[in-house]
Amino acid sequence: MIWAGIALLILLALLGAPLFVVVLGAAMLGFLAEGVGLGVIAVDINALAQKPLLVALPFFAFAGYVMSAANTSQRLMALTRALFGWMPAGLAVVGFVVCALFTALTGASGVTIVALGGLLLPMLLSSGYSEKFGLGLVTSSGSLGLLVVPSVPLILYGIVAQQMNVGEPFSIQQLFVAGLAPTLLMVLLLSFYAVWRHGDVPRTKFEIGALKQALKAARWELPLPVVVLGGVFSGYFAISEAAAVTVVYVLIAEMALYREIRLRDLPGIVRQSMVMVASILLILGVALAFTSYLVDVEVPQRLFEFLKEHIKDQLTFLILLNLLLLALGAILDVFSAIVVMVPLLLPVAVGYGIHPLHFGVIFLANLEIGYFTPPIGINLFISSYRFERPILDLYAACLPFMLVMLVALMLITYVPWFSLWFL
Amino acid sequence: MSRLHRALAAVETTLLVVLFATMLGVAVFQIAARNLFGGGLVWGQSLVQVAMLWVTMVGACVAAGETRHIRIDIVARLGGPRLRNVAARVASSFAAALCTALGWYAIEFVYWDFVDDLPGVGSVPAWVCESIIPVAAFVMALRFLIQAIWPLTESRR
Repeated sequence: MIWAGIALLILLALLGAPLFVVVLGAAMLGFLAEGVGLGVIAVDINALAQKPLLVALPFFAFAGYVMSAANTSQRLMALTRALFGWMPAGLAVVGFVVCALFTALTGASGVTIVALGGLLLPMLLSSGYSEKFGLGLVTSSGSLGLLVVPSVPLILYGIVAQQMNVGEPFSIQQLFVAGLAPTLLMVLLLSFYAVWRHGDVPRTKFEIGALKQALKAARWELPLPVVVLGGVFSGYFAISEAAAVTVVYVLIAEMALYREIRLRDLPGIVRQSMVMVASILLILGVALAFTSYLVDVEVPQRLFEFLKEHIKDQLTFLILLNLLLLALGAILDVFSAIVVMVPLLLPVAVGYGIHPLHFGVIFLANLEIGYFTPPIGINLFISSYRFERPILDLYAACLPFMLVMLVALMLITYVPWFSLWFL
Repeated sequence: MSRLHRALAAVETTLLVVLFATMLGVAVFQIAARNLFGGGLVWGQSLVQVAMLWVTMVGACVAAGETRHIRIDIVARLGGPRLRNVAARVASSFAAALCTALGWYAIEFVYWDFVDDLPGVGSVPAWVCESIIPVAAFVMALRFLIQAIWPLTESRR
């Protein structure tokens, strides 16, 4: 009976039922089987209003949307180009760095492809990079920022994992630090690949004049990392407060100083960003109900005991975890993957002796790759649509980038030091 | 877009803007108050959090109307137009049914807190803060039902 229900839910999910409805259905099914009243689900949705940290999500998301509506991407591009453009395959390196930063700000890699890809791809082509390389770069780099402060998926993982209360306790600040070295490793390996593949493109000279100009253009946005990082790490503000201060700063910069966002643009931006945040938080709310059911009937514990019979060592578990997450990352979007899969898998991973911070980094790194894994990674479709290229071209273009990222993923997974060096 | 549709969209946007502005305004006021006079509103933080719940539920209603809820759209990406049409009708009917159930049980939850007279934000009782959950569930159910009868075609998206 319960298996038939689960099969039906999976079928409905594949047919395109909203995921929050599918998770809601799973929670209802579970509670009905346990004889628990379904009013519990509303209690868990209402619990969204009892988590102070959650408020950071709408604030950061709104600030990101304001910046993508302004010309921040152009200024960021000019500045990074002036800084790194002189290196071999410099423009490719610029692309990786800019895409990572932009995704960290907006929390959505699809936005990065649309906003930055259109700028970056023509630049790459006119500087002598092949079309295949350029398409692969703009499609795959969109997801690089998932592990960079203050990305929304990173905060969401922290909230869900802390909720579970298993393994070593950790702070959101530690999670932010844990994501840095793995991201640098990915950018570094991708840059090596770019140099090997396209080290021959004509190099531009480093020009102090261009750098000065780019710095001047970005002068009102340059203090932003200080506002965000200072707010998050100084301990002076709570993270949700740092997010509120970020919004105020971004509004002043884009509206009063750059004058690129007008007052009448704001309602549209609020609507766009809050609908995105709402769809994430609603899934989180019903997933909290589903999680409390799973914990009640000890599903993660049973899953761990079952796995322990067949998988003895941590290494085998990690390999299987990577395979599972890569497949999931291609089907599920990052937010639903976090709220649905972390409650199931984190206790199992902790059982195998994996630190929750390390698990979070592995989880998100897998999803970064899943975003552009053929045949159904979402970024492939966004790029195909945005750049009007057949989807098969994108499969071919992304494959080498995927292989490089897989090397990075293996290092991140099997060398915990990259995520835990500061502990 | 019909006139009704435009009016509804304007109401939604206004609600979202007012709620977001409340969240931001109170959060910033709390920080300023703490640093300037070493204290803030006792119920300030909970007001911010309840406003966030309302943003979530109102935003979820908008997402239901614009089919912007997160979904796995393998069928839509790989299937043909006829399959897509059938899939959309089935999925929307299911969503309408479950949202109706959610609304029903949420009323029960709000009613408990009404009977117990639980405190909410300041002098506003908890059941008022929570009442957005059943309201939004029923609005979403209605919107999914409409989409089950008249699926949104590509051009209307």
